[in-house]
Amino acid sequence: MFRKKAKPVIQLSDEELVAELQRAMDADRFGVLYDRYSAKVYQKCMGMTRNKDISQDLVHDIFLKAFVNLPKFDHRSKFGTWLYSITYNYCLDHLRKNQRQRTSDLDDDLLEDGADERYEAELLSVRSDRLAPVLEALEPGDRAILLMKYQDELSVRDMMDVLGLTESAVKMRSMRARERALAKYHQLYREEP
Amino acid sequence: MSENPFKIIRSTDQPPEHLRSEVIGSVKFVIMLMRVLQLFVADPSAALFEKVRIVGGSGTSRTDDTTKPPTDLPPTRS
Repeated sequence: MFRKKAKPVIQLSDEELVAELQRAMDADRFGVLYDRYSAKVYQKCMGMTRNKDISQDLVHDIFLKAFVNLPKFDHRSKFGTWLYSITYNYCLDHLRKNQRQRTSDLDDDLLEDGADERYEAELLSVRSDRLAPVLEALEPGDRAILLMKYQDELSVRDMMDVLGLTESAVKMRSMRARERALAKYHQLYREEP
Repeated sequence: MSENPFKIIRSTDQPPEHLRSEVIGSVKFVIMLMRVLQLFVADPSAALFEKVRIVGGSGTSRTDDTTKPPTDLPPTRS
């Protein structure tokens, strides 16, 4: 009689929905989360795989994985960040399983001072129609890190959370990914202006 | 300065409609599996063997059956 009227499910925040789902599993409530995030997850998968059929399979598996792991979600990060982390890592696992490992064209010597900034500027000045083939030719881990940094503009802190790496490891991997992307770009478009 | 090429190539595709029903269908299946599992973990004998006992003899075991006379004793004569 005096009970407070419950908020409509659609008006609940992500965290409220997740808390309710942790108390009781419910497909309709999970459907609301799906509606909020499916486009973003699908676009991430498309960015990583460039294939609609594979992306649809990945989206299905990612949401199912998220649902099964909801009891483990500890509310320390936002639900969106947590789902983003599952998405990236699942796509990476998939690509690594299905692509043969490419050997690096570059050695592991450290770069001269200032070279990394020049590489970044050069990478960001690449024509967009040439960038897609370059990314496709890269090893999945390199592609993921470049998309996180330049497409989703994740901070180093967020990348550390998503990839489960230390700050120095994230910075080193970003630098190596830039180097390899530019090497691939020069390899593919050596003759052309 | 030119626009970031990574932003230009960002996918704007939307997931197909049928994908939602596939995902939610799988989620419902997982919920059902989890419920069966919870039932089994909570009381496996109740979940699986209760019915067998009822059909077998109204919840009593065969060793408790006293309707048969003992066979190892000779019949008594009056």
